[in-house]
Amino acid sequence: MAMATAQTGKGRSTIYYIVLWAVSLLFFLPVLWIAMTALKANTDILAVPPKIVFQPVLDHIKRVFDDPQTMPYFFNSVWLSIGSVIFAVGISFPAAYAFSRWKFPFTDFLMFLLLSTRMVPAAAAIIPVFQMFNAFGLRGRFGMFILYTSFSIPFSVWILKGFIDGVSERFDETAIVSGAGRMHVMFKVILPQVKPGVIAAFIFNLIFVWNEYIFNFVLGNAATQNIPFGLSVNLLDAGGNVDWGFVAAMSSMYVIVPMIVIFFFQKYLLVGMTFGTVRGDV
Amino acid sequence: MLASGAVTMTAAATTSSAERSKFVGIGLLVPVLAFFLVLNVIPTFWLIGLGFYKYTLGRGDPVFIGIDNFNAIINSPEMWGAFSRTIRYTVLVVGIEVALGVALGFLFWGSARMPGRRLALTLLFTPMVMAPVATGIFWKLIYEPTFGIINAVIVFFGGTKIDFLTNINTAFSAVVFVDVWMWTPFMIMMTLAALGSVPTAELEAAEVDRLSLWQRVRHVILPHAKFILMLGILLRTIDAFKTTDLVWTMTGGGPGNKTEFIGVALYRQAFNSLDLGGSSAVALVLLIVAIAFTSIYLYVLNWSKRR
Repeated sequence: MAMATAQTGKGRSTIYYIVLWAVSLLFFLPVLWIAMTALKANTDILAVPPKIVFQPVLDHIKRVFDDPQTMPYFFNSVWLSIGSVIFAVGISFPAAYAFSRWKFPFTDFLMFLLLSTRMVPAAAAIIPVFQMFNAFGLRGRFGMFILYTSFSIPFSVWILKGFIDGVSERFDETAIVSGAGRMHVMFKVILPQVKPGVIAAFIFNLIFVWNEYIFNFVLGNAATQNIPFGLSVNLLDAGGNVDWGFVAAMSSMYVIVPMIVIFFFQKYLLVGMTFGTVRGDV
Repeated sequence: MLASGAVTMTAAATTSSAERSKFVGIGLLVPVLAFFLVLNVIPTFWLIGLGFYKYTLGRGDPVFIGIDNFNAIINSPEMWGAFSRTIRYTVLVVGIEVALGVALGFLFWGSARMPGRRLALTLLFTPMVMAPVATGIFWKLIYEPTFGIINAVIVFFGGTKIDFLTNINTAFSAVVFVDVWMWTPFMIMMTLAALGSVPTAELEAAEVDRLSLWQRVRHVILPHAKFILMLGILLRTIDAFKTTDLVWTMTGGGPGNKTEFIGVALYRQAFNSLDLGGSSAVALVLLIVAIAFTSIYLYVLNWSKRR
């Protein structure tokens, strides 16, 4: 049977692998189509019926790089996502360690609240934040930075606590008996053992902030507008005549980043997509 | 437990050092708690307060109106429509994604030695790491009525062109299709993880006992795999219920209200009509739904851990 072969690990027939590849390609087809569109000349994009074979041109890709409007979007996406996620993981690790080692009576409740903040629809969460940001003049770099940091915290705490829980407290005790301080225990004893958790927290918050749209659209300003914002604006502005070549080029370049990330960090995908609550092999 | 463990461990330790240790622990929590307080707790109370006021941005100061906003939701056919549409959508997409994802997950079970597996899985999993906005734009181009690829295929087979996203008969299904494309890979991944949680020894025993496929699924695989599958289904349910960006880019809730889900309706009420009081009340209802979902999720999670 299928599962027996799977378990004993014997090779499977070529046809089986071809079917799996076909399924994977089928899911990738829409993305491939956009990438192809990005490389088409305008007349080829608008051709009826659509051209499968065409002379590739780099015009649209060049335009994305040359457009003075677009590079700031890329730049903002990069610094906002990397900066806020490093900061969030940095403060979440001590908190996760504290939640794991000091069994405070309020731990479960706080962890529950943290997780539920990520279950609320963005449109609901944004209303009071919108008011608050207006009231305190927070719309801008600083505001978006702390907002994205707060987005990344729940997931980081959840995933890191899960990993730290898996490290025996004997490590802490041994180190403390031999005279080490808490900071030493945390960063020199525990941190090296939960590296996969740190990587997963980093990667998946990065993807999340990289993809975030609504908060950026409503609360951001020119100093924080990211690529999803740029995509939506470029699409809406053109009205009836959407500049498909430009949009396709920009979104293909944009999607490459998460793709590269999941290629190299595939084993973190599961833990990443489930808030660190499910671990295992895929 | 560590606080007390530390006390018993070093016999000479006094209560005061345990107390001090507790402060260290709380100190480590402070930055995270500060963020949580400022960007989650305070806004939530703000939201709760605002839900009881009549307040439209740019039209004077908030006026306290008690539970009128909530009455308005209960008496609003639009909101009920959006809620029931969202539930219909959620049940539909999660149902299809689970059926397809589990089937394909079984198919991929045994792909450990597949040539180029990492690349194939990257391609397969790409849809779920894409920004919903980018996805929406991709599919607008694919559904495009004049030069879109899907319409070209329809014409090729002798059909007539359909403007999928503005046709009242097709818009809902078109959005469902994109959601299924985007999130079926997630259920494939969860199914693979669930199947991976079944102990090899039990599968081999089933092999020796020559159990039928159905018997294996029922008595060997499901008892282990059901938890991860349930967590996957719950996460998908929560996420489908939240669907906003994707629909906003593709259809904007239209045509008419065919794809006006609760997230979209709320966004429109808050930022197009600027009715912050009324939309806060809707947001509060969604907050309660989110907390309920989270409780169920954690209940299943703890249940699976207790075994």
